[in-house]
Amino acid sequence: MRATLRPVLLLVGLAVLIVAPLGESNYVIYLLCSWLIFSIAAIGLNLTLGYAGQISLAQASFMGIGAYSTAILTLAGWPWVVGMLLGVFLCFIVGLALGFPALRVKGHFLAFVTLAFNTLVFLVSRNEEWLTGGTYGLSNMPRPSLFGFSTDNQTHFYYFTVLVFLVSAALMYGIVRSPWGRAFKALRENPIRAESLGVDTRWLTLIAFAIGSAYAGIAGALVSPLVQYIDPGSFALVHSLRILLMVVVGGAGFFFGPMLGAVIVILLPEALRFTEGYYLIIYSAAVIALMVFCPSGLIGIWGRLRDRLGRKPETRADMQAGAQL
Amino acid sequence: MSASQPVLAVRNLSKTFGAIRAVKNVSFDVYPGEILGLIGPNGSGKSTLFNCILGQLRPNGGSVEVNGKSVSGKRACDLDKLGVGRTFQQLSVFPQMTVIDNIIVAGQEHHGTMLSRLFGPPDAGLTAEADQMIEFFRLSHLRDEMAGSLSYGQQKLVDAAMAFMAGPSLVLLDEPAGGVNLTMLAGLKERLVTYNREHGTTFVVIEHNMEFVMSLCTRIIVLAEGQIIAEGEPDEVRANQTVIDAYLGG
Repeated sequence: MRATLRPVLLLVGLAVLIVAPLGESNYVIYLLCSWLIFSIAAIGLNLTLGYAGQISLAQASFMGIGAYSTAILTLAGWPWVVGMLLGVFLCFIVGLALGFPALRVKGHFLAFVTLAFNTLVFLVSRNEEWLTGGTYGLSNMPRPSLFGFSTDNQTHFYYFTVLVFLVSAALMYGIVRSPWGRAFKALRENPIRAESLGVDTRWLTLIAFAIGSAYAGIAGALVSPLVQYIDPGSFALVHSLRILLMVVVGGAGFFFGPMLGAVIVILLPEALRFTEGYYLIIYSAAVIALMVFCPSGLIGIWGRLRDRLGRKPETRADMQAGAQL
Repeated sequence: MSASQPVLAVRNLSKTFGAIRAVKNVSFDVYPGEILGLIGPNGSGKSTLFNCILGQLRPNGGSVEVNGKSVSGKRACDLDKLGVGRTFQQLSVFPQMTVIDNIIVAGQEHHGTMLSRLFGPPDAGLTAEADQMIEFFRLSHLRDEMAGSLSYGQQKLVDAAMAFMAGPSLVLLDEPAGGVNLTMLAGLKERLVTYNREHGTTFVVIEHNMEFVMSLCTRIIVLAEGQIIAEGEPDEVRANQTVIDAYLGG
């Protein structure tokens, strides 16, 4: 059943992506673009955190690096795709460098290292006015054209974002389904055992940070032409926390988790706006309830339903001590 | 490699933790096809010795050679590529992965290059081989179960199967019998002996279960207070007064 259900669900999802902007206002299309863009950043963090088990509170800073690189280059007359590729490459390299502390520190210590990095990028983008425009930011970045197809129209830009999202998601699917994906999970669950089985955990930790950061770079390269204005506040720590929330709420370590999480973090507050002043309270309560009753995220709800309907695979919590060797 | 060349050669290995000398100038050889038991009372330095051999602790002195190559200072993943497998004292399967995935991940790093593992088949072409290993350890009925959902003894078997998946020439087993019930223990011993006979793989076994170690091993080394106090065939060691005294605290 699972084998036949998955392609059907994928086709339905694709159809929803295609029809979603039809007849909608520019603001709704902007929200849909934001959801897709943040989903890409969250997909990247899901690799670093969900699959490889390395906490990072710096994802928004990599979005910033990608956004500023693309903005600076496109404002200088370079094509968007060149700016995006260079931005993503820069994120990959800086992400690789940020992975080095992860070889020495773990858990909340690593969280603080990445948090400090996010703050560092924020300060650089605020203070280096000659490059980033400082607090005034950069504006009027041109939107990309693809084979002569202009994305100046909001709907066209949406479909362009869908295309980038689908390519990014497909590439990530290939990674997590490959033996690399299995090695990432082994690193997350028991790094000492993984190392004893020939998995180069040092290299794998670095590459998990690098790929995750590169995905944030792609997202940043799309933010720049979406809003056509960026400033340091767009990539502050609070946005890293939002991306982390997307991964955790959706289901860390599940392929579709970050996309569902982005629905909750980006779209749910907007859907609750009819409640006026209460929408943030309701939104926060919903997130707390989800984390309390289903810590494995939205994907976990599906798992629970499946368990009720059929067999019940369960990991024995009483025997996990050994996995922490 | 000649028949007389040891698979594992440990020379004057020492390890201290502050003022405590956990391992003191230990030297021994392990020859192809041998099943060597490493026994001793708690705190005698067995696990420290294991971890020094396997690169998880850096020894203060001495050297370790595997098949004639020095492995001193090498990382555990490099040792695996040199044909050294191991199991751990505590459970060390990947609990959120299925049994088949646990077995495949144990062998995949020996297949192809980093890039071919990214762009090649998801199972690295190892499903058939992994199924054989699962069948060998009589775990076929648990193939698609999450490893973390298995009983303690079943997880020990998965752990052992993982150690053999890469076709190692030397396997170090750290208390394989610990916490395993008698029926499963007999099965595990029989599987180890069969594997040793069929593949000629050399084993070094740390174990507290004397009955298990005496019936499995062809030679035994006894450690006490970080040094070797006796060595020989199981019957010789069993009758050795120094060994008896060490165990009884005499």
